[in-house]
Amino acid sequence: MDHFPTNWGRPRNDAYDPYGTFPLPHRPNNHAKDTFAEGVQRTQQPIVTGTSVLALKYKDGIMMAADTLASYGSLARFKDVTRLHPVGNYTVIGAGGDMSDFQYIQKFLDELIIDEFTAQDGHDLGPAQIHEYLSQVMYSRRSKINPLWNSLLVGGFKDGKSFLAYVDLLGTTYSASTLATGYGAYLAQPLLRKEVEGKEDTLTAEEAVRIMETCIRVLYYRDARSIDKYQLATITAEGIKIIDSRPISTSWSFAEGIRGYGAQTQ
Amino acid sequence: MNTFVNKFSTHSAVSQLKRAQKLVAADEDEYSDAAWGSQGGFGNMIKGIPNFTVPAVPDPAAFLRLHTDDHADPSCKIKIQHGTTTLAFRFQGGVIVAVDSRATAGSYIASGTVKKVIEINPYLLGTMAGGAADCQFWETYLGMHCRLHELRNRERISVSAASKYLSNLVYSYKGMGLSMGTMICGWDKTGPAVFYVDSDGTRLKGDLFSVGSGSTFAYGVLDQGYRWDLTDEEAQELGRRSIFAAGHRDAFSGNTCNLYHVKEDGWKFIGNYDVSTMYYEGPGDVPGAPGGGYGYGIRTEGRSAADPPASS
Amino acid sequence: MPDMHSLAQAQPQQQSFNPYTENGGTILAIAGADFSVIAGDTRQSEGYNIQTRYAPKVFRLTDKAVLAVNGFAADGNMFVKKVRQRLEWYRHAHAKDMPIRAIARLIQTMLYSRRFFPYYVYNILGGIEEDGTGAVYSFDPVGSYEREACRAAGAAQSLVQPFLDNQIYFKNQTPAPGTSFPRHLPLPTVLSLVIDSFTSATERHIEVGDGLEIYVVLSKNSPSIQGLRDVRGVTELTATEDGERVFVVRRELKKD
Repeated sequence: MDHFPTNWGRPRNDAYDPYGTFPLPHRPNNHAKDTFAEGVQRTQQPIVTGTSVLALKYKDGIMMAADTLASYGSLARFKDVTRLHPVGNYTVIGAGGDMSDFQYIQKFLDELIIDEFTAQDGHDLGPAQIHEYLSQVMYSRRSKINPLWNSLLVGGFKDGKSFLAYVDLLGTTYSASTLATGYGAYLAQPLLRKEVEGKEDTLTAEEAVRIMETCIRVLYYRDARSIDKYQLATITAEGIKIIDSRPISTSWSFAEGIRGYGAQTQ
Repeated sequence: MNTFVNKFSTHSAVSQLKRAQKLVAADEDEYSDAAWGSQGGFGNMIKGIPNFTVPAVPDPAAFLRLHTDDHADPSCKIKIQHGTTTLAFRFQGGVIVAVDSRATAGSYIASGTVKKVIEINPYLLGTMAGGAADCQFWETYLGMHCRLHELRNRERISVSAASKYLSNLVYSYKGMGLSMGTMICGWDKTGPAVFYVDSDGTRLKGDLFSVGSGSTFAYGVLDQGYRWDLTDEEAQELGRRSIFAAGHRDAFSGNTCNLYHVKEDGWKFIGNYDVSTMYYEGPGDVPGAPGGGYGYGIRTEGRSAADPPASS
Repeated sequence: MPDMHSLAQAQPQQQSFNPYTENGGTILAIAGADFSVIAGDTRQSEGYNIQTRYAPKVFRLTDKAVLAVNGFAADGNMFVKKVRQRLEWYRHAHAKDMPIRAIARLIQTMLYSRRFFPYYVYNILGGIEEDGTGAVYSFDPVGSYEREACRAAGAAQSLVQPFLDNQIYFKNQTPAPGTSFPRHLPLPTVLSLVIDSFTSATERHIEVGDGLEIYVVLSKNSPSIQGLRDVRGVTELTATEDGERVFVVRRELKKD
């Protein structure tokens, strides 16, 4: 029995020498010592990745935005991919993270919608149901240590109620009136909260588009894995609208005023 | 450990466990019919070993080591509660079981009121050192099987058999990270008995044991005061005094002392004593207590110029 | 002192998937003579990011049991879901709600079945025992549990628990001559202790704040109902008649 309490409840490491017969100060170590670990690896890191997705609640429903870049490490590999995907008639999902995992998610959600349609039982899946389903899939995959490497936003509007929620590779879920994944959580979320919180029922579509453009622009200025082209989706009582990708206007004149980073002389 | 070896070996801990449970993490079938209704709870375990979910990684033990708390890596988040000083000894009048009541998670005192004596049944006690959940769960489980033994054999299980049941059980999980150091104490046909069982699979019969980080301090007091022909009062006092010593000198032990006495007609709870109170005032008016605090202040008072008599 | 740089750190290491995270927040429960109070803040965070200002951590299980979960939110939500499923099965088999001490044991076995892949969840179960007394059970992530009079868990447990030790157990206090400390505190006192605990934790811990949900479970015909009369923002959640009653009190906490 190991009498030292902080070692209790943990597997004993037989490679560790508890009686100090070896002269090096050596603590129980935490790393798997598996010669063949590579042989059984699953998706342990994302490869082709998308960056932030933004979403907000406004007067008519939900608005979501995402740029169109899929990066391969630091390479801007695919510059016109769609990261907003409609699911059924009331829901849009937006994804950051691994794009191949996202395509797999699109595939099984589309199959789910077809199955539900085939049943013709008078019920169809709204955003809340799709989010629940998706979060169960994400959680069960993390529990198999074989995650789908994404952060997803689920936005929707059904029966007069708007819905906006988040789920990620760990199965963590939450909902709020503004959401942002990836760098958006740091750069865009404060702007979104400032513009939207408390105004969810009065914000017009025009104002919402302006807010989204500002956020995408701010992200483009500072997120090195972003691009100046984005898509916008709205989910309202009228249904889903996902507009074709369009560029954002940028102005780099402010760069003149920045001191302390680049090669400027003073 | 090694994935390939694990995968094809017939005797690694993980492969044995997986085979025993026919457990493939991919198709987790967690609930049997037995989980339904009145069988819910422990009912689903009567038929065999309970079902454990094992993470689908090459080395589950390394996974657990990575994510549960560790003095070498305080950032590990899952803090498992730890028990700390326990002792039990056999003497002419039965068995004395005494424990402290502190549980620590890192340097935080998670609880000062832990019941480290697990009442398995009216004749058997188990003590808790190591993972609190491991001890609670497996000793409760042992209690179920002791009851089944009674029903099958029309007699109570011997302390020896009960402890062997437990040691075989934890041995089957060896290497998976269980941690318990326990004394199974009771009275059977052979008289008072104490068995030490731990998660390495060790099982020892003996007169006197102490387990936990405070065990060295407890042994110090216990060894110098132990005799077979102790009276009940003397024995209870010795148990109390030993736990006090551990609570006083070991940072991981303390708060209060719980004292039990096992006799021919089963165990009896003697009392709960606050370690700080024992230092200053003693355990109170209990049989065997010398009166006054256990603190050495009493013995040094008035013996030096720096510590003059209180009365003067 | 020899160089403590261990070999482990010198070895190349592979960054593998970590299935856990920590979502902050604090939960707390206090048992009274014939009532039980279970509370939690509603902030959910990861690192320095506030993910949402409203994510409940306290859940009504039955009319006599309320469960608070803290730690990794996804594990917590899944765990509550599974407990509720087991309670529903019990209800179908026995046409009554599971007693709280049985729920406590159920939670132990459910947590322990994940001994080798733990739920990273600290649970506190509060409610009314079959004999009508208030109960609080607290659990560690792998299922060791104990019935107590009060318990705080989560991010600010080390801030709140010492305060409760002092105010509930009267630790390090001496009663005035000729008086003694009460064994149980009345409901209004407990409610104000809970509110003070959370406002103070909000002041000193970055992961606590936004909102507060306080569940109150009262035993059958409890006179403590008087203590809820003047409280603002009370909602009753009781589902059955002539038994225990469950209420929730919602309050705002600072959002900075």
